[in-house]
Amino acid sequence: MLQRSDSVNPDTSGLSSLGTGTVAAPMIFDPRTDIDPDKDYGTPAPTNDPTPVGELITLHIDGNEVRVPKGTSVLRAAAMADINIPKLCATDSLEAFGSCRLCLVQIEGRRGYPASCTTPAEEGMVVKTQNDKVAKLRRNIMEMYISDHPLDCLTCSANGDCELQDMAGVVGLRNVRYGYEGDNHLDAEKDESNPYFTFDPSKCIVCSRCVRACEETQGTFALTISSRGFESKVSAGQDQAFMDSECVSCGACVQACPTATLSEKSIIDKGQPEHSVITTCAYCGVGCAFKADMKGDEVVRMTPWKGGKANRGHSCVKGRFAFGYATHGDRITTPMIRDSIDEPWRKVSYEEAFSFAASRIKGIQKEFGRNSVGGITSSRCTNEETYLVQKLVRAAFGNNNVDTCARVCHSPTGFGLKATFGESAGTQTFDSVEKTDVMMVIGANPTDAHPVFGSRMKKRLREGAKLIVVDPRSIDLVSGPHVKANHHLQLLPGTNVAFINAMAHVIIDEGLESTTSIQERCDVESFEAWKAFISDKRHSPEETEKYSGIPAAELRAAARLYATAGNGAIYYGLGVTEHSQGSSMVMGIANLAMLTDNIGREGVGVNPLRGQNNVQGSCDMGSFPHELPGYRHISGDEVRTQFEKAWNVTLDPEPGYRITNMLDAAVEGTYKGLYVQGEDIAQSDPNTHHVEQALKNLDCLIVQDIFLNETAKFAHVFLPGSSFLEKDGTFTNAERRISPVRKVMEPLGGLSDWEVTLGLSKALGYEMNYNHPSEIMDEIASLTPTFERVSYERLDQEGSLQWPCNDETPNGTPIMHIEEYTRGKGNFALTEYVPTEEKVTKRFPMLLTTGRILSQYNVGAQTRRTENSSWHGEDVLEIHPHDAEDRGIVTGDKISLASRAGDTQLRALVTKRMQPGVVYTTFHHPESGANIITTDNSDWATNCPEYKVTAVQVNKVLNTEDASEWQAQFAAFTKEQLAYLDN
Amino acid sequence: MSTNELSHLVKMANQIASNIGLGSTEDEAVDKVVNHISLFWARPMREKICANMQESANDLNPIATKALVQINAKL
Ligand code: SF4
Ligand code: SF4
Ligand code: SF4
Ligand code: FES
Repeated sequence: MLQRSDSVNPDTSGLSSLGTGTVAAPMIFDPRTDIDPDKDYGTPAPTNDPTPVGELITLHIDGNEVRVPKGTSVLRAAAMADINIPKLCATDSLEAFGSCRLCLVQIEGRRGYPASCTTPAEEGMVVKTQNDKVAKLRRNIMEMYISDHPLDCLTCSANGDCELQDMAGVVGLRNVRYGYEGDNHLDAEKDESNPYFTFDPSKCIVCSRCVRACEETQGTFALTISSRGFESKVSAGQDQAFMDSECVSCGACVQACPTATLSEKSIIDKGQPEHSVITTCAYCGVGCAFKADMKGDEVVRMTPWKGGKANRGHSCVKGRFAFGYATHGDRITTPMIRDSIDEPWRKVSYEEAFSFAASRIKGIQKEFGRNSVGGITSSRCTNEETYLVQKLVRAAFGNNNVDTCARVCHSPTGFGLKATFGESAGTQTFDSVEKTDVMMVIGANPTDAHPVFGSRMKKRLREGAKLIVVDPRSIDLVSGPHVKANHHLQLLPGTNVAFINAMAHVIIDEGLESTTSIQERCDVESFEAWKAFISDKRHSPEETEKYSGIPAAELRAAARLYATAGNGAIYYGLGVTEHSQGSSMVMGIANLAMLTDNIGREGVGVNPLRGQNNVQGSCDMGSFPHELPGYRHISGDEVRTQFEKAWNVTLDPEPGYRITNMLDAAVEGTYKGLYVQGEDIAQSDPNTHHVEQALKNLDCLIVQDIFLNETAKFAHVFLPGSSFLEKDGTFTNAERRISPVRKVMEPLGGLSDWEVTLGLSKALGYEMNYNHPSEIMDEIASLTPTFERVSYERLDQEGSLQWPCNDETPNGTPIMHIEEYTRGKGNFALTEYVPTEEKVTKRFPMLLTTGRILSQYNVGAQTRRTENSSWHGEDVLEIHPHDAEDRGIVTGDKISLASRAGDTQLRALVTKRMQPGVVYTTFHHPESGANIITTDNSDWATNCPEYKVTAVQVNKVLNTEDASEWQAQFAAFTKEQLAYLDN
Repeated sequence: MSTNELSHLVKMANQIASNIGLGSTEDEAVDKVVNHISLFWARPMREKICANMQESANDLNPIATKALVQINAKL
């Protein structure tokens, strides 16, 4: 471990600036505390490990003694000592390349002038970074660059943020002897095809930072340097426009570019930011940290923050570019009420809206009973907001009818992991993937749905880790640039549990289990019972092949690989949970990890990839109807009493309704009032007909959202929501990391979401008093053992914290279940394969499964209101060429998609990604009505809907003018509801 | 396809029974189902299904039926 002696130099930004002759010990740079994420050290740290134990090296740079970890470049070592050697092609997010030669230095005993970025620091080295000779060489290099560069610095978009300009200044370039008349690239044409950034080749210095960023950081390999010498230039794809190339618009190249060549259009339009605020992405469960670059209260750019421990300076097209929705003209910023949904909205004050809502809710409860109302919290809102909504339901409504949209995605994760490990959360950090030898990705599509983590996976795969993909569809990871799955087990939707059982069967059958860790760490009785169960021949891959479609030999090979290749990590998504046996599958996954000793250290684990930013948080915050914050059952007297005291109410000890149950009861007419914060159940929940019927039956639907979403069209009270830019709070990502969300602009509706909930609660007669979300977090911490030591102050210090964060683990817990499982001994659960009732028939001979794509997010309410729609303007149905041919369908044809639940129409995309008999679509656009098709089948334990398996028929539509009946109704209803808004 | 609340509850009870019942004796299986439903179902759901046991008699599987008899007794 590195130490530093603060008495010598308390300044944390630098180190080791010791003049020779000083007696004090040299300073040692401690990357845990001393790395400044806003500084570019030129080359990456030799290890991402925050506490490297490796060897230290001492060298002298310009007379200063510097000690750095072995493997550090001379350029980085100097930067750590605050000696900033000029550089152009180097940046610390990329491996050193050594092409510009601006960073050259003189090293005692060596000939010539080596590039400091590619020269590793060595023990005893004596480096001189500046002398006349070096200065002259550098000036010559700059002269070459500038002779082929436009001199419009004053009006250039990069003015103020251009490394070329900076370097010209640093080396003291004063004139260009070659003149500017020679051959140059000044007329090269701009590529403005990407909606978010432009490529202006006339300013390119061919440093290849962009090319390397696309390869190393993003892993897409969309850019190349074509030709050589003077002719060499950067190009996307095969000399294509960016939009026509493989580019996924992650922006890594734009961020890496030292000049104006690749620039954000927002910066070109508006100029450089004048301040920035660190915050957290509001899209997916990766939870990337960003610098919101501001001009006044306007966001001009989102720059992924290098200090962010989830993303390490990378981002995807959503987080970086798709923030314009926050100020979109569709935002509703005034509260509105109406007596029935056949009436125009009336704009009112917050007070009036609160008292209207409260009196309706109270009236309903009087007539239909206490249980006739409830609320839904959002995985898109902050922990604090979610906590308040469940508190309002439990304390002010007086029941436990609170649920969250995580119900429809990851509720089986909570159930399954609690039953086996004892805690409802993933076991690892994202960094852990760097130590993984074999990854198994089940029912997840990280490069689309969790792109930044997908990039980190690809990086590790390029370093040689093995990959098993288990998915009905051929996702990008199966075969991409420099990444190829060792096994793609293309199972039939609905046979997950058969698959996972077969994996376990093989491991037992072939004696590959880790007997020692099972004996030491697991409940042996449960293991023996489970072993007897799983050894049965019915679980053998030879048997399961018959219905899962996975060839037995391939499955056996995959099982051997997972069990024997070293550190095995499982990453899974909604393809695991959204099934009638979602919970069984999660337990099956946990069994497999325990069986092979793949829990409790870096590189291994069971990792649910969460869809929305705060799925983990909304579950943690007690959004489930049977659990108080921290996953404690409401029937437990001790815990309930604690909350009763703190909240000064009596709580109902009975579990409440889950979303599905609420909707059923609403259709039945016994459930009449609902408060929905930041969710769109009319679009996102399955069996739309059923949902719409339920919503129409409500007497009081209160929707709090930033837009008039699909659900709000059925509402009686609309309360303006605030975007993540308009409030303080925290999100918790898939690795249990609690990260701050910071307000950068005033809420457009005047109040932040948490304030709206306070107002509603007060009107209901239950007053809550908080002056700031930090006080809400303090209350959460005081009532939730896993959050004991979490506070805004600590978050400001640490950047983020992974729960459990308590007296024993004040700095949080990156890896769980190290010494022992949270529940003590790991529990092997029996997971019998029970086929879903959703079966193919003559009438519905194919299976539909659903998913997400990169540029859109969830129901699309945010991303559809940005340029991201340039990539995905509509949902399409993917279908295998055989099935398409049978039906006379070609790509672009309008097709009808029908299930027992309903029918809709989409366009077809014929692709070999699909296997015959299986079709696939997304549900980012409401008018496509994917959920008209999905049924109300659900997971046996948690009621998580079975989105991933629906028996369907697909036919070509002859009259393309027609829409399905539902789509026609939808269009009419939408028109009517929008007209009610105009008044 | 719009299932009503009762038929949905029956389906859920059957699903629970067929998923957590296995590998145990019938009594244990019934206990597990009772426990699961008590922990995760709202009271009105339990009341509804119990009040309509007759109507759903043919649709409920045996373990689920036995479990619901016990749940009814505790309501
Ligand atoms: S935006 Fe991303 S994917 Fe596109 S070229 Fe740049 S680095 Fe590659
Ligand atoms: S586009 Fe920018 S990063 Fe890429 S080679 Fe040119 S100057 Fe370097
Ligand atoms: S959407 Fe996900 S991966 Fe993309 S920037 Fe946001 S948190 Fe990161
Ligand atoms: S920065 Fe070292 S060669 Fe370019």
